[in-house]
Amino acid sequence: MTWLDLGAGALRAALPLALWGALAAAYAAWKRDGRALGSARWAVTGAFALVALADLAMVGALVTHDFSIRYVALNNARATPLFYSVISLWAALEGSILLWTVVLAGAAGWVAWRGTRALPRLAATALAILCGMLAFFLLLVTTPAADPFVATFPVPADGRGPNPLLQNNPLMALHPPLLYLGYVLFSVPFAYALASLILGEGGDRWLTATRRFAVVSWALLGVGIVAGSWWSYAVLGWGGYWAWDPVENAALMPWLTATAYLHSVMVEEKRRLLRLWNLALVIATFALTILGTFLTRSGIVNSVHAFSQSAIGPLLLGYLVALLVLGVGLLLWRAPQLADAGAIGAPLSREAVFLFQNVLFVAATFTVLLGTLYPIIAEAISGAQLSIGAPYFDRVEVPLALALLFLMGVGPQLPWHGASRATLERQFTFPLLAAAAGAAGAVLAGLTGVAPALTWALGAFVSATVLQEFARGIRARRALHGERAPAALASLLRRNGRRYGGYVVHLGIVIVALGVATSQAGTRETERTLAPGEHLSVGGHDVELVALRDVAEPQRRSVVADLRVSEKGGRPADAHPALVSYPNAQQPIGSPGILARPGEDVYTILAAYDQRGKAWATIRVRVIPLVSWLWLGGLVVGLGALVAALPPPRPRRPALPAAVGAGVVR
Amino acid sequence: MSRLAIGAALAVLALALAFAARPAPETAAGRVDRVSSELRCPVCQGLSVRDSPSETARDMRDLVALRVTEGKSDDAIRDEFRAAYGDWVVLRPPLLSPAGLVWLAPLLLVAGGAFLALRLARATAPPPPGPPNAAALAALRERVARDEEADA
Amino acid sequence: MTRWRWLAAAAVVALVLVLALGFRRDPRDVRSGTVGRPAPAFELARLDGGGTLAFRDLAGQAVVVNFFASWCRPCKEEHPVLLRAWERYRTSGVVIVGILYQDDEAAGLDFMRRLGGTWPTVRDEGGRTALAYGVFGIPETFFIGTDGIIAGRHVGPLDDAVLTAAIEAIRPKAPR
Repeated sequence: MTWLDLGAGALRAALPLALWGALAAAYAAWKRDGRALGSARWAVTGAFALVALADLAMVGALVTHDFSIRYVALNNARATPLFYSVISLWAALEGSILLWTVVLAGAAGWVAWRGTRALPRLAATALAILCGMLAFFLLLVTTPAADPFVATFPVPADGRGPNPLLQNNPLMALHPPLLYLGYVLFSVPFAYALASLILGEGGDRWLTATRRFAVVSWALLGVGIVAGSWWSYAVLGWGGYWAWDPVENAALMPWLTATAYLHSVMVEEKRRLLRLWNLALVIATFALTILGTFLTRSGIVNSVHAFSQSAIGPLLLGYLVALLVLGVGLLLWRAPQLADAGAIGAPLSREAVFLFQNVLFVAATFTVLLGTLYPIIAEAISGAQLSIGAPYFDRVEVPLALALLFLMGVGPQLPWHGASRATLERQFTFPLLAAAAGAAGAVLAGLTGVAPALTWALGAFVSATVLQEFARGIRARRALHGERAPAALASLLRRNGRRYGGYVVHLGIVIVALGVATSQAGTRETERTLAPGEHLSVGGHDVELVALRDVAEPQRRSVVADLRVSEKGGRPADAHPALVSYPNAQQPIGSPGILARPGEDVYTILAAYDQRGKAWATIRVRVIPLVSWLWLGGLVVGLGALVAALPPPRPRRPALPAAVGAGVVR
Repeated sequence: MSRLAIGAALAVLALALAFAARPAPETAAGRVDRVSSELRCPVCQGLSVRDSPSETARDMRDLVALRVTEGKSDDAIRDEFRAAYGDWVVLRPPLLSPAGLVWLAPLLLVAGGAFLALRLARATAPPPPGPPNAAALAALRERVARDEEADA
Repeated sequence: MTRWRWLAAAAVVALVLVLALGFRRDPRDVRSGTVGRPAPAFELARLDGGGTLAFRDLAGQAVVVNFFASWCRPCKEEHPVLLRAWERYRTSGVVIVGILYQDDEAAGLDFMRRLGGTWPTVRDEGGRTALAYGVFGIPETFFIGTDGIIAGRHVGPLDDAVLTAAIEAIRPKAPR
């Protein structure tokens, strides 16, 4: 049996199982039939096992360089190292859909076994929906749209090898799976939301059931986006980390609405308000994840990620339309029953801040959507071709982001139901002082521009509010339980992870914001053509071109510039930007040489060189301050989300004194 | 005391921001950077001419630099590229054009959304209803029973 | 409430329409702004060292301007097509001009020597001419009529059918 037989067979066997699971789960929910539910559970488990098998078969084929499979022939070569062979599973369209499918099957499995234990009827309905979605994706991978197990004849002696951009860095292993996990895991809250609408009841319980999925999905999306930015920065070699590329935007949009959702959900839990809004947000977020996939895969926009144009476009569009129609239809049908019973009643309250924050997030999302789709709209209507790029997005999104930063500091400080003037004074004196210090510090450090100064002011503001909250919490624990400060901190994070983990996330966002603002405003760069031995200087650094040399590897050839970078009075360090030529690429691909230091990065690019005699090289050097804060901030956000998602420790039974315990009848 | 501190903080903040906002004279190099950042590199995926390390982008930057030293205006430089590449090469949609709509949309959204949000935030809850009548009570009981069954 | 429902439904329909309409276009097909305009003048150094060639020297002829480079694989593929057209039309008032793009002189000369072709070839030092014509990527060919206006443009490698049709459209008509 070949890999192809194994993989193709497993996928085709999984499809009927997924369909059966959908039918059985729907029946189980409708007739409250436990046996049907059991049948659905096993169907889903079987489907998951088969899809996992198919994924493993593809990995096996890649690792053993089985070029009789077209996907392997196009994305793998004999010279491809083992690690990159494995991660080629998601290097191109068909493989990435295969990865998506296995994650979706896993999520369905979770709902089938764990979800149904907590809320049987709701979870069964959600399971039926998830199985339906799984069946669609299995349809994709068993038809020419995205079938990875297609034979190629004649079998080539060697494959084409992976896209050179995907071989440059092991981080390629992280970015797509993180994003896919983020996208796919959001299917669970979506399925539950639809189930809640279909059944017409279930109240707010679906929120608690899916809260962890929502947080984890959001965190993975966020970290995935940061990982993508890091990859763009370290691998693509243009010196930046975000280009408002359509596919970058496609990942950002659901993350923005998911962030709005995570907050407005708290209003629903606390005050039982905004039910309709939250359901709409869930549906919108999920729709945006599919839209994102559609924009990436359909070839409709020109982008770094546009692999190839295939029939998958119309199919994904149809899927998106079907789910949107279903979701919006259900929402509109149930709208009267979801009307809010109460009202907020206080513009200066936490609920109100969350509401304003939601408005800003939705505005931000819509702007990104508009900017991404407008060129398509314009061309479809009038044939005019225009571009909307960074100048537009930066100009619009930065003010929104600053406003959101401000609300991020204000929100947690305002109590539910409204705040009095005294509260306001007490809560905001220290943060405002910090804000003033932040702005002054930025200006004194020489940062020009209102946006960076304001970012530092707001960053300090938010950090001060977070510190205040932690200080208050630690003081309270010390008073109540006599814990010392470090133990108190640990207790806060463990017992009240949702709240304090959230604060950690906020701090992470602040770090990212400061990194973005400072790197955008404070970058200094220069580009010069040098002969070996010559220097250039930029941003307080002296860069010498030491040598220009050839490097040959089995799968690629490079021309490397050896640079010696020295700061005034500091130790010199070496950077090695290169131009790398792969056999299947027409033009060489730039590989930057990055010296990462805590305060700034020295980013070097070999732009061109003398092809005849290596007598000169055009070197571009950027000194980018605080760019590593982006990655650090992303890490902090991930950690904070982890703290927020972990279940609190079970409360231990208090130890009763022996005398009392003896007299208590249990 | 607190009020004084807040007042002082706001004053310092305002001063710092005003100082940060002072217009800095733009150097020729700065102008080249700015104009390049608004032009799209034809051979790259949406990167600006300023950011792209490709040779075409470098040629374009050289041309922009030449035109800047010749004293051409920003619009004249952009028009030169638009004559060769079409509107596609400009990354920022001009305000006074059909595409200018994209500048209006976020403004409308934020203004409209903030207005709606404020109304929602100010709204006070309707007065609590009196004790339920028999029919409403029965409906409520039935709903509770259904809810409980949903969990079964 | 019903008003909002219709609004929501309309928004969804609009979004879908946009995406569906987007399918009609190929994002790689970006039209240049120079078709229909006077061809930008140039004066560039010949590859074979015989001084410079200026666009005005070609007045009265139909000009096929072909941007190429030695490192460009599709350029190699389309070269025989150009050779055939050159043999066929060189005496009919049509001239092909090869402009070497982002490449060095020696490599360009070697390319022409190995693959043949006696039409004039020049080097676009600094890429100004390519920028003036609006070149997106090579191979790219511009078809200029005897009036000096760019009649058409082709991005990507040429084939016989396309090249013949384009040349027929711009060649000087025989006087009656």
